[in-house]
Amino acid sequence: MNSRQLVLDQLNGKDVERPACYSGMGNVTTAGLEQFGYKFSKVHTDAKMMADTAASSYKLFGYECAIVPYDLCLEAEAIGCVMNPYEEVDQLLYPTIKEKVCHSEEEMTTFPIPDDVEKRGRVPLVCEAIKLLKADIGNEVAIGTYVLGPFTLAGQLMDLNDLFKLAFKKPKLVNEMLDRVSDVTIKIAKELVAAGADYINVREMGATTDVLSPKVFRNVIQPHLIKVREALKDVPLVIHICGGTNKIMDILNECKYNAISVETKNDLAASREMIGNEPLIFGNIDAFNVLVNGSPEDVEKATLAALEGSCDSVWPSCDIWPTAPIENLKAMVETVKNQGAAKWVRKNK
Amino acid sequence: MSDRKAELLEALKQGVIDYDEDAVKEAAQAVVDEGIDAYDAVFDGLVEGMNEVGRLYEEQEYFVPEMLMCADALYAGLDILKPHIVQKEGGVKGAVVMGVVQGDVHDIGKNIVKMMFDVAGFDVHDLGRDVPMDKFVEEQLKTDSELVLLSAMMTTTMVGMKDIIAKIKEKNPKCRIMIGGAPVSEDLADKWGADGFAKDANNALKDALNMVKALKDLQQ
Repeated sequence: MNSRQLVLDQLNGKDVERPACYSGMGNVTTAGLEQFGYKFSKVHTDAKMMADTAASSYKLFGYECAIVPYDLCLEAEAIGCVMNPYEEVDQLLYPTIKEKVCHSEEEMTTFPIPDDVEKRGRVPLVCEAIKLLKADIGNEVAIGTYVLGPFTLAGQLMDLNDLFKLAFKKPKLVNEMLDRVSDVTIKIAKELVAAGADYINVREMGATTDVLSPKVFRNVIQPHLIKVREALKDVPLVIHICGGTNKIMDILNECKYNAISVETKNDLAASREMIGNEPLIFGNIDAFNVLVNGSPEDVEKATLAALEGSCDSVWPSCDIWPTAPIENLKAMVETVKNQGAAKWVRKNK
Repeated sequence: MSDRKAELLEALKQGVIDYDEDAVKEAAQAVVDEGIDAYDAVFDGLVEGMNEVGRLYEEQEYFVPEMLMCADALYAGLDILKPHIVQKEGGVKGAVVMGVVQGDVHDIGKNIVKMMFDVAGFDVHDLGRDVPMDKFVEEQLKTDSELVLLSAMMTTTMVGMKDIIAKIKEKNPKCRIMIGGAPVSEDLADKWGADGFAKDANNALKDALNMVKALKDLQQ
């Protein structure tokens, strides 16, 4: 069974022979960039450069997916925000939003969203990159992409301090905004799927229990995650949240995504206790302290720990930091391919 | 302590905990009107309240929204009390440069730390968020600050800290550098040559509170 089939079968709930090693977040590497002589700040606005570098992770270390884009600005930009790609900076930086579209409480329910938001900004460019990837390696590995969860997207559109406070003080108002914003998430996700994306990771990274209470999560975050799920019925969807997630695993599980991706901070045993043995959990290799700073032995150890901790496929906790050494990334992939079936604790139970 | 003073200090403290800006303003105004020591009102009222908020945050009874609202309440009181603070003899003052590193626009943790340094009477040079590396170095040299505080919220942005630390240390080896933010660790602080570290927003707050306390102790 090839990587693509393995990944998609597992996401669709079929029996598979082993866990896969892939991701729903960015995984461009410095090695991949150097191979083509591309500058990181340039790849965000060029479909071919984006596709070339995305495919390089499969070609260089056997990663079982290719993911575009690399930044978190796609949806906000399509709505009308201005992105900063940091072209003038020498060091590696991910783009950020420098001009927001919602400046006050009143505007939360009135700021304009273009009707054809899925055709705006760089959405067509990312679709083009997906098509290039499909043609290049689409038969071998799954082509994945991600969208921001409605709350995280709202944080790109307005002041985050205000959003957090209002999530607590005026949940109804925030829910109204998120209802509008979730339509954007859905429209763009559909467009990416139409271009050929095999699965989508919904990154609701701003809603970790490090910052929001489970109560606010249930009242303000969950309804929109469910809405996204229901609008994308036939698409394999993963939900990813950074930071602490143990207290909301049941709430996430109720959203009925094909899998839940968690990071290093998640206590996997406690998660299983809460949601049982059935749901797919992906995770949880530290994308910096292990993949960048560790040795290949450290990586192997962390990979086995993830499998023994009940992860069903091995995902890094976050975007891979580009300077991660290729031998570390190889160690992660090889460990899953060679030892995954034997060490897959959840399946072997 | 007079009963009235104790009552107002308690009102300030509770007002911060309950994120009740109006109650804090009212109590702060009463402190000023009735000639009660504004310094005590800040440290034994507002800061005590924030101490309790820190504890509630640590126990996950409060989260970031609550903490932000408590901070608003504290600032509402501080705005009224600050002009009336008589600096005590031998008060420790220092200057601090702080900011969120370039590529990162998350400044909630930094703002909470800033608040505590404001309260402590530090001369705070807040560079804001998405701050280019050279700006930290320049500002430190310009202000001759004893401390530089660097914050990052994401794995993908914290990496820039390493170079900033090296650059500042190269220009001014005496400068102390503290780093904080969700992905940062003690280990990374050591590796990158920082002098201090705060594990998360909560610990950043705690460290700031400890510094405030240490200041008070030194002053007594």
